[in-house]
Amino acid sequence: MNASVCHPAARLARTAALLVAAVAVIAGGPPTRAAEPSLADLQRQLAQLAASVQQLSEENRALREHQAQVDRQLAQLGAPATGAPAAPGAAAAAQAAVAANASALPAAAATAAPSSAGTPVSSSLGSLGGLRLWGYGELYYTHPVDEPAQTRMDLARAVFGIGYQFSDRTEFNSEYEVEHAVSSADDVGEFEVEQFYVDQRVSDAVTVRAGLFLMPFGFLNEHHEPTNFYGVQRNFVETLIIPSTWREGGFNLHGDTAGGFGWNVGVTTGFDLSKWDFQPEFPPYRTALELEDSDIAPLQASHQELALANARHLSQYVALSYYGVPGLTIGGAVSSGKAVAAGPGDPRVTLWEGHVRWTPGPFDFTALYARGTISDLAATNELFPGSPNPIPSSFYGYYLQGAWQAWEHGDYRLAPFARFERYNLGASWAGSSGPDIPTGLVPMSATPGDFGYWPKYQDRVWTVGANFYITPHVVLKADYQWFDENSNFKRYDLGLGLAF
Amino acid sequence: MWAWRAAGAAAAACALLNACGGGDGSGGTPPPPTGLSARALAGQALFFDKTLSASGQQSCGTCHVPARAFTADPATDHGLPVPLGGRSMDLPGFRNTPSLLYTRFTPAFFLDDDTPTGGFFRDGRASSLAVQAEQPFVSEFEMANQDAAEVSARLQASSATLQLFVAAFGTAVLSDPEATLAAIGSALAAFETEDPRFAPFSSKFDAWLDGQVALSSSEQNGLALFNNPGKGNCTACHPSVSQGYSSHPLFTDFTYDNIGVPRNWSIPANLPDPKSPVSGVPLDYLPAPLNVPADAEYAYYDLGLCGPFAPPANDPNPRPDLSHSSWLCGQFKVPTLRNVAITAPYFHNGALPTLHKLVQFYVTRDINNNTGNNPYAVPAGPGGNPYQAVGTFFLAAEGTPDLYQYNDLPVLWDGNVNVGETPYTLPTFAGGNAPTLTAAEIDDLVAFLCTLTDGFDPQNPGSYNVPAQCAPGAE
Repeated sequence: MNASVCHPAARLARTAALLVAAVAVIAGGPPTRAAEPSLADLQRQLAQLAASVQQLSEENRALREHQAQVDRQLAQLGAPATGAPAAPGAAAAAQAAVAANASALPAAAATAAPSSAGTPVSSSLGSLGGLRLWGYGELYYTHPVDEPAQTRMDLARAVFGIGYQFSDRTEFNSEYEVEHAVSSADDVGEFEVEQFYVDQRVSDAVTVRAGLFLMPFGFLNEHHEPTNFYGVQRNFVETLIIPSTWREGGFNLHGDTAGGFGWNVGVTTGFDLSKWDFQPEFPPYRTALELEDSDIAPLQASHQELALANARHLSQYVALSYYGVPGLTIGGAVSSGKAVAAGPGDPRVTLWEGHVRWTPGPFDFTALYARGTISDLAATNELFPGSPNPIPSSFYGYYLQGAWQAWEHGDYRLAPFARFERYNLGASWAGSSGPDIPTGLVPMSATPGDFGYWPKYQDRVWTVGANFYITPHVVLKADYQWFDENSNFKRYDLGLGLAF
Repeated sequence: MWAWRAAGAAAAACALLNACGGGDGSGGTPPPPTGLSARALAGQALFFDKTLSASGQQSCGTCHVPARAFTADPATDHGLPVPLGGRSMDLPGFRNTPSLLYTRFTPAFFLDDDTPTGGFFRDGRASSLAVQAEQPFVSEFEMANQDAAEVSARLQASSATLQLFVAAFGTAVLSDPEATLAAIGSALAAFETEDPRFAPFSSKFDAWLDGQVALSSSEQNGLALFNNPGKGNCTACHPSVSQGYSSHPLFTDFTYDNIGVPRNWSIPANLPDPKSPVSGVPLDYLPAPLNVPADAEYAYYDLGLCGPFAPPANDPNPRPDLSHSSWLCGQFKVPTLRNVAITAPYFHNGALPTLHKLVQFYVTRDINNNTGNNPYAVPAGPGGNPYQAVGTFFLAAEGTPDLYQYNDLPVLWDGNVNVGETPYTLPTFAGGNAPTLTAAEIDDLVAFLCTLTDGFDPQNPGSYNVPAQCAPGAE
């Protein structure tokens, strides 16, 4: 949840595009050898220029009106976008918009990429005396090519958010989610509170936040609206290594500096390893979709989500980002704290990540690396010899992604992308030589005759696909994924996502 | 004065914790602690009082022998896998006596997502320890009292036991025989709950969990095979980790399973002409068949959850009627594996005599199908079925291979047998099946099971009473 800067950002994007086009027109299109322009050429160029200037001026007026509104809102909200220093560009856009600086335009272009509609557009709905509503949701169809029986279609999540502005200094935000459409004791879905916090702007430089809030790690965790990422499903690194949507209870301080740095430091609840399943009888997942939903990855399995969380040990984190250079975001974060143990020992969980995003022109490049470690597990794993799922001492993932704003027409926008990612849920082990995984065919479930292979816990995944935006708030997605190790996970996916 | 009080408090705490002396490594039972409540002391007396039976020769402790982890000693039952009882001690029962150790952690019967879980007796038909403890008193082929009134009369004639009973319950309850029997049940339940002899957690495995002893490589490998879902997969039903019922692993999840055990022709009820092997009297107390089709191969089948033994009439929390849940036919409760090395024979019908044969049964049950129609056959020849010589465990009364696989079930319910989980079956693929465990792995698994016997003293490991079948080289 961030400040409502999407509309101005979109407009900035269009403005930027028009400006570039105008400049190109003035420059005579693609660079050519200097040739003597004829009078007719000059007149035509002048007419085009006049038309462009007219359009620009209209845009500018609308933009300025909106800017004023945003300024008012930001003054009220105390720049909440600064609570997310790792934000890809929305924070940059907010700052840039406030600065009303032409140099902010490339950054705005960056935000015109997926994140343009990722922030709640409460202003478009009108604020009912301080109350704000927003939401997002996504459906997908996933078809594992080699296992068509595992084809699924799902309403992955339907999320709504409620916020309230108590004063120009104090603000409340909350987000609620229904996963898999139907939530009950007998159904696969879940209803959960994803965020529930109060922000208190103590000064222009510092805001205090307390409650249940998203951890500022990576790109996706704080900006996981479907319009904010490429690909139908969230990427594996930011699902398995950084356990999006990762939220903890506690408090933090965050703010921005004039030099373009964002910072966020907090104390939160930690992880509970005592819930670890050392003895799954059947493979915990058999498709890529199940891998993401299985909660088998180390931090997925042990995060507490502030549900009667054990708070004997608290964790601390620091997150920093830099977005002073337009079109470039660099960020990193580290969290560390003791966890509830699963056996003898005193384990400490540490997760750190670093990410970069660069948006030159129509391109959007991102790279992220995340690594987690858990200490003092030898004695615990030694109690479970033969386990196919001991607790790993380290796990990591990274990805490289490139996207391209290929085509745009009015609200429609097509952005193909490609991504390579690697994840390893068991880079090292203590007290165990690794998971004791059956190599041959094994029963996959209690259904007789249902045989398959135990999946591998690390992989390299290639994804190609495209996001097609119908509006900045509604996106159709398609992608195809190949897996090196679990090659039977190969699949294509279609998706529909929206955010408002 | 305070020094005496402190010493007294320490002694009481010591006794309650049973942490100071008392425990011995001989495999026998330590002397009873002194911290039992009045009810539990009454229960202890009731447990061993033979005069409460119609025959005068049977108490709870006759079939639930403390030295054998509170299971029966076949030597005292004419070598039968089921206990002998009745007024003349000549009537055989139906099922292998379950161990009373660790039963106090059993939950009352409930359906967990349609999965039957918990309950007392091998079919979960009693909802609590107390309800279960009352039944043998009035069971025709056990302590054989006609009714609660006869039990009450016998209690009042047994002066030492009566004294402890009255100390716990008073005398008013004696005027109502049903209430007396209920009080007897609750006293026995208190004894089984409070007395630490019923949950010692003093096995070599427990010592290893506490870091006080190392397992041998064979035992360690056996535990790994026990846990491995592609090998033994035993932990799927006999979890080697705590399930929350106790802080220690109980090696049962209290669910039910139908593993298609072989018919045990040593149980007189299973014979075509059921009669007492001692006196020859016919067994007219055999229950009417339930869920047994008229054309079944044999007349009597014990079908467990869907079977003929109904929940006790006076159970305040009765198990639902499962007689129409035919998919549950043949399911029996997963027992604990603690002390399994000293509680032979195995399964609800005592069909398997040793741990080694038991694990072999799991591995070869479907591979060695001898009926001529085996979808799980391993092709013959070198590298083929290494357990060819073991043959099938499903024998007819004459001792030759039975025509029927799973011959302790009517053919109608063969579909209920668990065939989907390791280690029973593996997929047939080109080249046929392969057994999940090699002979050496079976030995290691048995070695691990032998570590679950209570009475291990880490300070004095040599005193561990190694059961005969756990001795190196035993078969």
